[in-house]
Amino acid sequence: MTRIMIIGGGPAGYVAAITAAQQGNEVTLIDQGPLGGTCLNEGCMPTKSLLESAEVFSQVKHAGEFGIRLPVGKIEVDWQSIQQRKNQIVSTLVQGIHYLMRKNKVKVINGKATFLTSQVVRVESEGIQQEVSADKIIVATGSEPVALPFAPFDGKWILHSGHAMLIQEAPESMVIIGGGVIGCEFASVYSRLGTKVTIIEMSCQLLPGEDEEVAAILHKQLEDDGVTVHTSTAVKELQKENKKVIFENEKGSKELYADLVLVSIGRKPRVQNLGLEHIGLDFANKGIFVNECMETNISNIYACGDVIGGIQLAHVAFHEGTVAALQACGEEAKVNYRAVPRCIYTSPEIASVGLTEKQAREQYGDIRVGVFPFAANGKALISGKQLGKVKILIEPEFGEIIGVSIVGVHATELIGQAAVMLHAEMTTDLLENFIAPHPTLSEAVHEAVLNAIGHAVHV
Amino acid sequence: MAVEVVMPKLGMAMKEGTVSVWNKTVGDTVGKGEPIASVSSEKIEIDVESPAEGTVLQIAVPEGEGVPPGTVICYIGSPGENIASNTKLQETEGENVASSSSVQLEQTEPKKLARTARDRIKISPVARKMAEAGGLDIESMQGTGPGGRITKEDVQEALKQARSTQVNKVTKPEQISVEKVEESQQIPVTGIRKVIAERMYESLQKSAQLTINMKVDVSKLIALQKQTMETVQSQYDNKLTVTDFIARAVVLSLKQHEQMNSAYIENKIHLYKQVHLGMAVALERGLVVPVIRNADQSTLIDLSKSIKALAKKAREGQLSQDEMQGSTFTISNLGAYGVDHFTPVLNPPEAGILGVGAVYDTPVFVGETIEKRSILPLSLTFDHRVLDGAPAAAFLQTVKKLLENPITMLF
Repeated sequence: MTRIMIIGGGPAGYVAAITAAQQGNEVTLIDQGPLGGTCLNEGCMPTKSLLESAEVFSQVKHAGEFGIRLPVGKIEVDWQSIQQRKNQIVSTLVQGIHYLMRKNKVKVINGKATFLTSQVVRVESEGIQQEVSADKIIVATGSEPVALPFAPFDGKWILHSGHAMLIQEAPESMVIIGGGVIGCEFASVYSRLGTKVTIIEMSCQLLPGEDEEVAAILHKQLEDDGVTVHTSTAVKELQKENKKVIFENEKGSKELYADLVLVSIGRKPRVQNLGLEHIGLDFANKGIFVNECMETNISNIYACGDVIGGIQLAHVAFHEGTVAALQACGEEAKVNYRAVPRCIYTSPEIASVGLTEKQAREQYGDIRVGVFPFAANGKALISGKQLGKVKILIEPEFGEIIGVSIVGVHATELIGQAAVMLHAEMTTDLLENFIAPHPTLSEAVHEAVLNAIGHAVHV
Repeated sequence: MAVEVVMPKLGMAMKEGTVSVWNKTVGDTVGKGEPIASVSSEKIEIDVESPAEGTVLQIAVPEGEGVPPGTVICYIGSPGENIASNTKLQETEGENVASSSSVQLEQTEPKKLARTARDRIKISPVARKMAEAGGLDIESMQGTGPGGRITKEDVQEALKQARSTQVNKVTKPEQISVEKVEESQQIPVTGIRKVIAERMYESLQKSAQLTINMKVDVSKLIALQKQTMETVQSQYDNKLTVTDFIARAVVLSLKQHEQMNSAYIENKIHLYKQVHLGMAVALERGLVVPVIRNADQSTLIDLSKSIKALAKKAREGQLSQDEMQGSTFTISNLGAYGVDHFTPVLNPPEAGILGVGAVYDTPVFVGETIEKRSILPLSLTFDHRVLDGAPAAAFLQTVKKLLENPITMLF
C-alpha cells in the first residue's frame, strides 16, 4: 500500500484524494480552510447561487410578460436572505465533501503544509506543528486573486472575488476592474440586483480570448442591464480617501466615484511559502512545472489544478487531479485537453468548447461555419429568452467539428453535447440524420450543424 | 465434434505465431500426438502435435501467415463432419437470405456484412475518414484512446510515420537494377529469419557501432586447459573449453568495466548491475542467443555447464522464450568456421558484443627468441553512443590480460 499525501482540498485535491483512495492506498489530505477550495467556498458555487437569485429577481420583474400580474412596488431584494441561501448551499456542499472523505477513508488534517524534504511536510495549525510523511505527494494548492500593483486588496473598498461574495448589502455603485469571466459574472449579478456597475477592461473586448461576436452580444446585454463598459481602458489610480477611480483611454483621463471596487484581473498559482525551493521543485510565478502526466521534476511529487497554471477551471482540475492520482498509484494516465468546455455564467450565459473562429481560421484556413439564432427556436420564444445563438465551426476536409460557442439561455447546459461531439471527434455527416428532442433549446445545436452543411430547416 | 487445433503460446511475450510448415493437408489422417505442423514465434520454432486422432477437415491458417496465440489453425474430426463455427456461419447466411427473400439485390448483402465487420474497430469518426483518405489500414492500428479507440492523433502519427518511411525508401539507393535471373527460388521471410532480419537491420540503422580487434596469446590457457582436464572430468564430469574461459574472462571484465555492460534505450544509457551473458548459437534455421542469467554469480565450472546445457537446448529447439531474452552482453564465436577477425553486429539494445575467432599457431618473438605460440583473434563491436574507443579498448585489454594469465580466472 502506498502512502499518498495531497496538499490542498479543492477540486484537484479532493478528486485526487478520492481516486487514490479508490485504488486502495493510504491517503492523507492536508487543507487550510473548509474543504472544496476556491470552487466551493468563494468561486463557482457561491457566485452561481448569487446569480440564481439575480435571475429569479429578473424573471419575477418580467412576470407580466407571461401573464402573471404582481402587486406594484411590493417586489424587493432581501440581500441577507440571498446571502443566507448561498451560505447554506456552500455549507451543504462542504459537508458533502467531508462525507466523501470519510466514505473513502481519507485522513483529513487541517493546517498549512510546508515541505521539509521530498517526502516529509510540516503541518501547522493554530501554533501546533506536526510532521507528516508520505511516499508520494500531490500538490494542489490552487490559486489566489492577483492585486493591482499600485493598489493592494484591503477588503473594505478594494475587493477581490472572495470579498465580493461576502458583501452584506448591495452597494449603490461598483467599479469592476477586469472584464474577464469573473468580472462579467459579478457585473451580471450586481447590475441585476440594482447596483450601478462600471467595467473597465484593458483589452479591446470583454472576455479577451473568447469569440469576438459572442463577446459583443454580452457587451450589448450588459449595457441594456445598465452596465457601463469601457474597453481599451487602463486604471491609473485608486483614491481610497474619496473613493475615486482614475482611468484613462484614447478619449483622455476620467474619474469615477465607486462605493466598492472589485479587482478581477486574474488569479496566480499559490507557490509561495510551501518550501518548494528547499526541496528543489521546479516552479515559477506562473506555476509548478509538470508534464502531461502531472509529474514534477521530483519523481515522487505531482502537481495539478490551478497551481500548475494553464487552464484555471474546476473541471480541468478534476481531470488533472484524477491523472495525478492515477500516476501516483502507479497507473498510466495523461491529461487530454482536447475538449474542455468553458462556461461563463452571465446573463445571457456563454459557453464554448474547442477553437474560437479566429483560432480555427488561423489553423485550418477556410473553415465552414454554421449558425442558428435562438430567435428561430420555439422553446426560446416560449421562455422569453431569444437573445443569442449557436455557432459551430467545421474543418473543411473531413467535416470534423472543431469548435462550438453558444450564447443564450442555458448555454452552459447545452455546451455539454458539444463537448461530447468534440471529445468523440465527431464529423458532421453523423449528425445529419440525428434526431434532436423537440421542443427544446438543444435543437438549435443540431440546426447549427445542418446550417453549416447547407441543410438547415428552420432558418 | 471436430477438434480445434490452436496456435500455442510459446512464451509470455508472444504476440504472434506463424505456421512455417504444414505436414498434413486437408483429408490426411492423423494420429494423436503426431506432429501436424511447425510453428514459429519470434525466436522459437516447435512442432504442433495433433490433440486427437482423425482427419484434417480444414486448414484455417496458411503457411507463412502470422496469427495471435489461441487462434484456431486447423480442425480435426471425422470425414464429412461439420465444423462448429462453420455451421454457425452458414446458419446466419441462411437467415439473411430468408429475411431478404423479397426483392433484395444480391450485392447489398455482402456489402452490409463487410461494413458491420469494419464497424467493430473502435475508431473516432474523424480518425476513420483521415485514415481512409490517407490509405491507412485501420485494422492493424493500435489506438491510444479509451478502450484502445483509435483517435485522430493516432492516425496523424501513423500518417507521419508512413510518410517518413516513404521518404526513407526514396532516399535509399534501391534502384540497383538487378538483372532478372531466369529462375529464382523465393522464400517468404517468416519466424526466426524475419526476427533476425529486422533486429540486425535495426541494429545497424539505429546505433553508432564500430569494431576494434586484438590478438590474445592463449598458449598458457591451452596448457592450463590440458593440465586441468582430468581433474575437471573426474570431479565435475565436465570439460572446460576455450569458449568457457573466454566467457569467464568477459564476465569478470564486465564487472570491472560496467560501461560495457549497458544498453542505449531512448536517449538514456542503462548500466546493468548483473551480467546476463548471451551466447550466440548457430542453428540450421538461423541464429539463436540463449542467455546465461547472472553469469557473474557463477563459478567457471557452473558457467561452463550452463553454456553447454543451453547450447544443447538450443540445438533441440527446446529453449523457452525467457531463456532467450534479457542479455546485457553477447559473445559470438565463429572460431569453429576458421574465421579470424570479423565485425559482429550488436544485439540491440546492448552496447557491446565480442566476436571470437579461430585459435592459430604462429611464431612470435618472446624476448629475443622466436617461439611457437597459440593466438586467439578477438573483435569487439561497441556502441560509440555509449562509450568511446579508449574505454572499449581498456575493456578488451582486461579480457586479454585475464586470458593470458588464466590461472587468475580459476577462482
